[in-house]
Amino acid sequence: MDLLLDALREAVRLLRTGDGDVYSITLRTALITSVSTFVAALVGLPLGLGIALGRFPGQRALLAMANAGTGLPPVVAGLLVAVLLWRSGPLGALGLIYTPWAMVIAQALIATPLVVSFAAAGVMALPPALHLQIRAMGAGSAQYLWLVAREARLALLVAVMAGFGGVVSEVGAAMMVGGNLAGETRVLTTAAVLEVNRGNFGTALALGLILLLFVIGVSAVLTTAQARVRRR
Amino acid sequence: MNAGTSALALHYLRVRRAGRDVLDVPHIEVDVGETLAVLGPNGAGKSTLLLAAALLLPADGEVTIFGEMARRGVHVRLRRQTATVFQDAALLDMTVRQNVEIALAMHGVGGPERRTRAEEWLGRLGVAHLARQRGHAVSGGEAQRVSLARAFAVRPRLLFLDEPFAGVDHATRATLTGELRALLAAEGTAALFATHDHSEALLLAPRVVLLDAGRPLQVGPATDVLARPESDRAARFLGFSVLGPASCTLLGLRPVDGVTRAAIAPEAARLDAGGVLATVRRVEAGAGAGRLLVELASGDSIAIARPVETLRDASLAAGREVRVAVDEARVVWLAR
Repeated sequence: MDLLLDALREAVRLLRTGDGDVYSITLRTALITSVSTFVAALVGLPLGLGIALGRFPGQRALLAMANAGTGLPPVVAGLLVAVLLWRSGPLGALGLIYTPWAMVIAQALIATPLVVSFAAAGVMALPPALHLQIRAMGAGSAQYLWLVAREARLALLVAVMAGFGGVVSEVGAAMMVGGNLAGETRVLTTAAVLEVNRGNFGTALALGLILLLFVIGVSAVLTTAQARVRRR
Repeated sequence: MNAGTSALALHYLRVRRAGRDVLDVPHIEVDVGETLAVLGPNGAGKSTLLLAAALLLPADGEVTIFGEMARRGVHVRLRRQTATVFQDAALLDMTVRQNVEIALAMHGVGGPERRTRAEEWLGRLGVAHLARQRGHAVSGGEAQRVSLARAFAVRPRLLFLDEPFAGVDHATRATLTGELRALLAAEGTAALFATHDHSEALLLAPRVVLLDAGRPLQVGPATDVLARPESDRAARFLGFSVLGPASCTLLGLRPVDGVTRAAIAPEAARLDAGGVLATVRRVEAGAGAGRLLVELASGDSIAIARPVETLRDASLAAGREVRVAVDEARVVWLAR
């Protein structure tokens, strides 16, 4: 019990005094997570729309892959990226291993199937009559896609939220391809693991609290956007 | 009819699903400014025909819209000469006015005119007061009015109507049918109108195609088709009773030109003390009209039109015996 109380006290102190390391780790976490989610959305939303609307060979297989990918263990994603980016690996010449970019790649790999799967499900759930009506109005391909995406915008937002949720809390891939280098690739999750290993529960708890606040903050922004979309 | 006066021409239009033809139409043509009703029971292929004609469903055969044959690359341009109103109004998740404006935008109508035309048509359909409401928040009848406004606002030369009033109540349906008839006449828009309602077809369309199992059974002036079916299937769909030779002999009907199958409209049959003995099987009630279904000794059934309130009479209960006669002058002899 004392351990927990001490840890809480330390957490409050760190947060109150504005520890420089903690803030730089938090900022790095926000940046890496945002870029990963953005990349996953950039790739996943069009893919999800394409799978839901297109008619091409292998469409079902792609959807099945995306659905299966929602359960992709972060460690496996990390391992895959690590093998690719390792200095002696096929993409080793790029020198990305143990950089934030490697973390972005691994996290985008984790988030993309989530975005694809949720986006495809959302578009597929639209009433068939809506698709016919949009085409009957004389929509060209781009207008059709835009209107369908607009109608499914709530589902697409949920898809992005799912992608964000998938990467913000993962630690396995970040550790494996980022290396948890102080001042370079250390993020909230990897830093918390390190502090626990060192027995610094107060610092670890403070980092955990910040992570929690960060998640709540981003979720609040996205939920507000969702409510606004619904009202519009 | 020739290409110059044809709004829509369908040649050997065929849709296959799960290895069988669900639509097989050798030829249908709609004149410029004409309304053609496609009449048929549920599952007859009316919607499939409309979707294929509106270039919204892949089909074999030829679809020609105002003289231009639909081929790869011109579908969107041809669709922009048409508009479609579905049974489900399928309003988009935006305001009612935006729902009309978006259709106008697809047709290349610029901003200020878009708004003017949207407001004009919402006004003409009596839903201007809903302009700022969400499309999903309006009632079924209102949504269908918005859907009609959206369709007419783009000034289509050809309108496809797929049972547009099937989902609204009887009174709204009657009003909307009347309004649609007036709008089609005022705008001179050609229309292909799918319905299973005989009276709707009769009110809106001078010509009718009877469709069953994806094939046209009969095409012609609405009054002729509805009054004089040419086949058993057409007669049964139109509510006629079809009688074989034994029943005709029993009722004293004299066949014409050796044809021995007769179609009897419910209004051509009556209860008559001097008629033939029959057994009541059941009573049926429709909108303001009733039918008594009786079975003749020959095994054929015959429907008799009766005022609904008379059908409560105990003497007309199932299993009771009645006497039936048929107005011979109104008998339709079936060659097929």
